[in-house]
Amino acid sequence: MIRFVVVRLLQSLVALAILTIVVFILARATGDPLHMILPMSATEEDYANARAYLGLDKPYVHQYLSFVGKAVTGDFGNSIRARKPVVELLQERLPNSLKLALFAMIVSLGLAFPLGVMAAVKKDTAIDRIAQIVAVLGQSLPTFWVAIILVEVVAGRLQWLPAGGITGFSSYVLPGFTLGWFVVAGMMRLLRSGMLEVLDSEYVKLARVKGVVEHRVIWLHALKNALIPVVTFAGIYFAILVTTAIVVETVFAWPGLGRLAYDGITSRDFPVIQAVVLTTAAIVAAVNLCVDCLYAFIDPRIRYAR
Amino acid sequence: MTRISRIVGATILSVTVAIVGATDHAPAQAKTELTVALSSFSAETLDPALQGHNVKYYLSLIFDYLVGVTPEGQLTPAGGLASKWEPSADHKRWTFHLRKGVKFHTGEEMTSEDVKFSLQRAMSKRSTTGYAGPLRTLIQDIETPAPDRVVIVLKQPTLIIPTYLSRSLSTEGMVLPKKYIEANGDDVFARKPVGTGPYKFVEQVTGSHIKLTAVDNHWRLGVPKYKNVTFRLISEETTRIAMLRRGEIDVADVSRERVKELEREGFPVHFRKDEAVLQLWFVLGPDGWVAPTKDKRVREALNLAIDRKEIAQAIFAGRAEPAAVPFGLTWSWAHVGFKATPDMAYPYDPARAKKLLADAGVGSGFPLDVYAFQLPGLPEGKAFAEAVAGYWEKIGVKPKLIPVDYPAFRKLWVDRKAPGAVGYYNIANRDWIGTYALLEKMAYTPSKLNATVNDPEIDGMIAQVMDQTDQAKINALMRNIFTRLRSEHYGVPVVYIHAAYATSKTLGKYSPGAVMYDLFIDTLASGKP
Repeated sequence: MIRFVVVRLLQSLVALAILTIVVFILARATGDPLHMILPMSATEEDYANARAYLGLDKPYVHQYLSFVGKAVTGDFGNSIRARKPVVELLQERLPNSLKLALFAMIVSLGLAFPLGVMAAVKKDTAIDRIAQIVAVLGQSLPTFWVAIILVEVVAGRLQWLPAGGITGFSSYVLPGFTLGWFVVAGMMRLLRSGMLEVLDSEYVKLARVKGVVEHRVIWLHALKNALIPVVTFAGIYFAILVTTAIVVETVFAWPGLGRLAYDGITSRDFPVIQAVVLTTAAIVAAVNLCVDCLYAFIDPRIRYAR
Repeated sequence: MTRISRIVGATILSVTVAIVGATDHAPAQAKTELTVALSSFSAETLDPALQGHNVKYYLSLIFDYLVGVTPEGQLTPAGGLASKWEPSADHKRWTFHLRKGVKFHTGEEMTSEDVKFSLQRAMSKRSTTGYAGPLRTLIQDIETPAPDRVVIVLKQPTLIIPTYLSRSLSTEGMVLPKKYIEANGDDVFARKPVGTGPYKFVEQVTGSHIKLTAVDNHWRLGVPKYKNVTFRLISEETTRIAMLRRGEIDVADVSRERVKELEREGFPVHFRKDEAVLQLWFVLGPDGWVAPTKDKRVREALNLAIDRKEIAQAIFAGRAEPAAVPFGLTWSWAHVGFKATPDMAYPYDPARAKKLLADAGVGSGFPLDVYAFQLPGLPEGKAFAEAVAGYWEKIGVKPKLIPVDYPAFRKLWVDRKAPGAVGYYNIANRDWIGTYALLEKMAYTPSKLNATVNDPEIDGMIAQVMDQTDQAKINALMRNIFTRLRSEHYGVPVVYIHAAYATSKTLGKYSPGAVMYDLFIDTLASGKP
C-alpha cells in the first residue's frame, strides 16, 4: 500500500513539474502584461523601467528557475496587476471558493439524494421522469445562462436574494444553486443507476425475504452500497467546483479563485496565472491521489495492478 | 413508501425553508452610505505611483492633487492643495503656494516636503504612471523654500507643468505623506494608503470592494455627506442592474443598450458625453507606412465607406455621434480653440470610396486584417469590428476579422508584427495636455513604440509644442495638427461614445464630469452647498 501511494505521489509531482513548464510558456505566449498596466502614453523608457522592476527583463530560463525555486517554498512572487504577493491573493480568494463549493455541494447532495433514490425506487413513474428532466436541464443549461436568469429574475425583479458579492449567508444561495444544479444532475443519475443495481441484488432480496421493512432496505441496506461511486464523484466534483467556477464567480461578483484566474489571464499577470494553475492542479492532484488511495484501500486488487 | 414520501417531503421543505429563511431583502440604503459599482477596477492598486489614469475613480477620494480641476476639466485654485501657482518670466521655475493646515489622515500636516517627495516618487523608475517619463525629461530640481511653497525647476521652459500635476491628467499630482511612507515602507503604504483626501482608507478585498470612510472635516468638501463610500467590483452588468433595483448600490456604470430600460423604470441615467472617441488605426510596419494604406486615397476611401450614423444608432443605441478627426479628443478642443467644421465630416459615400480605390490602383480590392476585441467600456467592440468589416467589404476590400483579446493585438501593434492591419481603441477623452501626450506617442515618428502615423510635418509641429511658452502659439500648433490629421486621413475616427452611469432614484443631482477616468464621486459627497 505504501509503495502504491509513493508511486502515485511521484506521478502527481511529475505532472505538476511538467505543468510548471507548460503554464510558464503559455502565459507568456500571448501578450505582454506591461501593455495592460502602462498607459498608451508610456515611453520606451517607462517600459524598460517597469520591465526591470518587475523582473521581466531577465532571460526566460532565469525567470522560470526563479519561479520554480520560489514556488516550492510557497512564494509565487508579486502580482503584476495588483502589486501584492500572489500568496496573499490566494489566501483571500481560496476560502471564498471553498465556502461556495461547499455550499454548492450541500445543495447538490440535498437535492440529488432524495431525487436519485426516489427515481430508482419509483422507476418509470412520474417521479422518475421529473428526476430525469432535472438531470437533463442541470447538465444541458449553460451555467452562465442559469446564473444570469437567476440574477435577473430572483434578485433583480423579485428582489428575494442578493444579486452579487458576499454579504451574508443569503448571498450564497444563488451562486450555490447555480453551481450545485450542474452537479445534482450527474450525482442523481449515478445514484439512480447504483440504486437500481443494488435493489436488484441478492442480499437486498434476502433482506426483504427476512422481513426487513422497506424503508430500512432502501435507506440503510441499498443506499449504503450505492454510495461508493457517488462519494468518489462528489469528491472529484468538489475539487472542480473550487477551481473552475469562473463563470459563476464572475456573474455573482464572487471574489474567488476563478475570478482571480480570469483577471490574471486577461491582464497577462504571469505570477497570478502560474500560481492559480499550480494551486488548482495541486488540489485536483491531491483529490485524485486520495481517490486512488481510497480505491486501493477498498479494493486491494488495484494496489497490485500495473 | 409513505415513509419515503415523508422523508422526501421533509428534505424539500427543509431546503425551501433554508432558502426562504435565508431571504433577506436588503435594508433600505442608509443615507450615510454611498456604494458605487463599477465593471472594472483596473489594477486594484492603491499606490498612485503604481498605476496610471484608470485608478483615479477611487484614488481621487483618498488623495488630493497639487492642482485641482473643476468637473469640466478647468484648472482651479479651489480644487487642489496649491491655492495659487505662477511661473518665472522664463517659464523655467514654477512656484506653487500650498494651503496651510491641510492634514493627512494620520494627523500630520501636509508640507512642501510631502509635495517634493510625492513628485520624486512619481518620477522614480519604479513608477508606472505613464507620465513619469515626460516629467523626468522636464524636471531638473524641486525646491522647498518654505513649508508652504514648492518650486519646480525645469530643464526647459514649458507651460504644461500645472496641468501635468493636476487632477485632469493622471496620478502624478497626488500628494502623499512622506513621513508615513518613509517610516512604514512602500508595501505598507500600498496596503494602507494615507492621503489628505475627503475619505480615509478602511479596507480592500481584491476582486470585491474598496471601502472608505469620511474624515471629520475636509478643507474642500466640509463635512462629507456620506460617512462611508464603498466601491464594489461587479463586472457583470445584469448583476449591477439587479443590485441597483434592490437598492444595494447607488451608482453603476451601465451599457448604452440598457439605458432606455432603466429610464423607463425611473432610474436617472447620467452621461459622460464624448467620453471616448472610437477610432481605427493602421498598424505600421518596421519602416513605417505599408501599402496600400500608405496611399492617402485608400485611407480616405476606408473612411468614406463607413456609415457612422448607422453605427451610432444600431450598435451604440443612439448614444454616440459621428467623429471626423483622427485623435480628435473634443475635451481638448475647447482649450486650443479647434472646431470640426461641417465639411470635415465624412459622408457615407461608398461610390466615391470605390472610385478612390480604383484611382489608387486597388479597385479590385485588397486583403485587410481587422483585429476584433472587446475593451473596458466597449462591450460593443466585436460588433463594431464586424460592422466596419461589412462596410469595407461593400467597396471591394477583403477584410479578415481576427478575434483576439486586446493585449495580444497591442503586442502585435507595438512590435509592428502586423503591418497594414487595423485595430481600434475607445480613446478616453482628455484635455489638451493629455491629448498632446497621446499624440506624442501615437502620431509622432520618433516615439517608435506606439506610433500609428508617419508624417514629418506633424512630427515638426509636435516637437515645437513642448518648447513653446506662448499659449496662443501652442493652440495654433495643436489646431494645425488636428487639421493635418484629418486632411491626410491618418486613421478612421468613427464615433464619439457617451458613457452612461445609472443612479438610485433617491441619489439626487449628479454629474460624472468631463475629466479623463474620474467620476467626481466627491461632488456627491460634498457637504458644502
